[in-house]
Order: sequence, then C-alpha cells, then structure tokens
Amino acid sequence: MEKLSKERLEKIRQLILNPRPGSKVAEAKEFGIDLTLTFGQLRKTPQERVEHQQSAMRSLDEFKRQTKELRKRING
Amino acid sequence: MVEFESALKSLTAEKVDFVIVGGLAISAHSTGYITTDLDFCYLRTKENLKKIVAALEPFKPRFRNFPKDLPFIWDERTLQSGTNFTLETKIGAIDMLGEVAGVGSFEEVKAESVSAKLYGCDVLLLSLEGLIKAKKAAGRTKDLLILPELEALQELLSETEE
Repeated sequence: MEKLSKERLEKIRQLILNPRPGSKVAEAKEFGIDLTLTFGQLRKTPQERVEHQQSAMRSLDEFKRQTKELRKRING
Repeated sequence: MVEFESALKSLTAEKVDFVIVGGLAISAHSTGYITTDLDFCYLRTKENLKKIVAALEPFKPRFRNFPKDLPFIWDERTLQSGTNFTLETKIGAIDMLGEVAGVGSFEEVKAESVSAKLYGCDVLLLSLEGLIKAKKAAGRTKDLLILPELEALQELLSETEE
C-alpha cells in the first residue's frame, strides 16, 4: 500500500465531485459522508494517515481530561 | 489510547505472524475513523503464541475487566485456553482475534491482507474488501456506520486502478 500518484488522485477527486448516479460514492454522499475528508487522507502515506489518527486520539483524550477537571472544579 | 508504535515495533521485532484487522487498518486505508485499540488476528501455533507472549510481555498485559486482585499469568498456556482475547496493557487496549467473522481463519485473513510500512515496520493489514466483509458480519451499528465510506473508497480505488 503506497501513496497514490497525482494522476490517480485527480481521477478520484473528479469521481468525488461528480459521482455517478447509483454509485457507492453517490450512496455515501447521500448517507452524509463528506468524501472530501476521505480524499484528504488518500493524499497521505499510510504512515501519515495513522499519525493523523493518533493525533486526533490524543486531542480527544486531552479534551476528555480537561472536561473532567473542569467538572470536578465546578462541582467542588 | 493505544500506543501503536510500541506495539507494532515489539510484535514485528519478535516476528509474530499477525494481521492488523480493526480501526487501525481502517485508518491506514484512508478513512477518518478513530479507534482506541489495536486489533490483530494471529496464527494460533505454539511457536507464534510464544512470540506473542514475548512481544507483549513488556507491556504487562491482563484480560480487560479481570479482577485486579486475582493472579494472572501471561504465558502460552493462557493463550492456548481461548481464541479471542481483549487485553489491557501499559500502552493501551489490545484485542487478539484467532479468526475474523465474515472473513474466516487466520490463513483466510492473511490471504485477504495487504502489506504496508507503519512506524518503520513491515506489517499486514486486512484489505478494504476484507474489512467490508468483517464489518457486514459484525453488524453492530458502529460497524454499519463506517460501511458506506469503506464501500465508496473501494469503488474509487478500483475504478482508478493503474
């Protein structure tokens, strides 16, 4: 699994922007999935995708920690 | 949150025969999915179990929700006593699966895997096709919610294959 070529990414971008009626891409869009975010991930290497995921997880953990602290302070 | 880097480095250093099958595989395939654990499918031979024991030993694994006051021994015999294990470790939650519903045994999972380099380690990830089968078989709401994105991604990649 490698980083995708610029040419392939452009083809994918076009398919996301102009989904074929009845395609899975059209179905996903209808379901409410923002495939431009998926496209953003596709531009990265697998390693970069996973690092992005870890960074999101860290932010979520930090948010949870701060919320817990704030709740403690408010409730005494 | 699980420290993927430490886990993968240790598993590959011990040459464990495994395939990453859960949220980490989904993320590596390009979705914005966030997971809090590492799920892998493993070969259930005695030799491989020994390697898993050595690889995870430094992270002090225990069964999740196992009473803290009860003695727990992390060894091959413990792993021989079951197929699927949900572990808590010093580096986060790790789930070990002997087989994957919708895909099959370890050999079938491996046959449906793709290779990738993560944290400098050569690892195997369940393919998009395999992940779709697994999510359909699991059938929980959280699995079904990710399906449209996985199927769209599969379509985008297969239609633009070079």
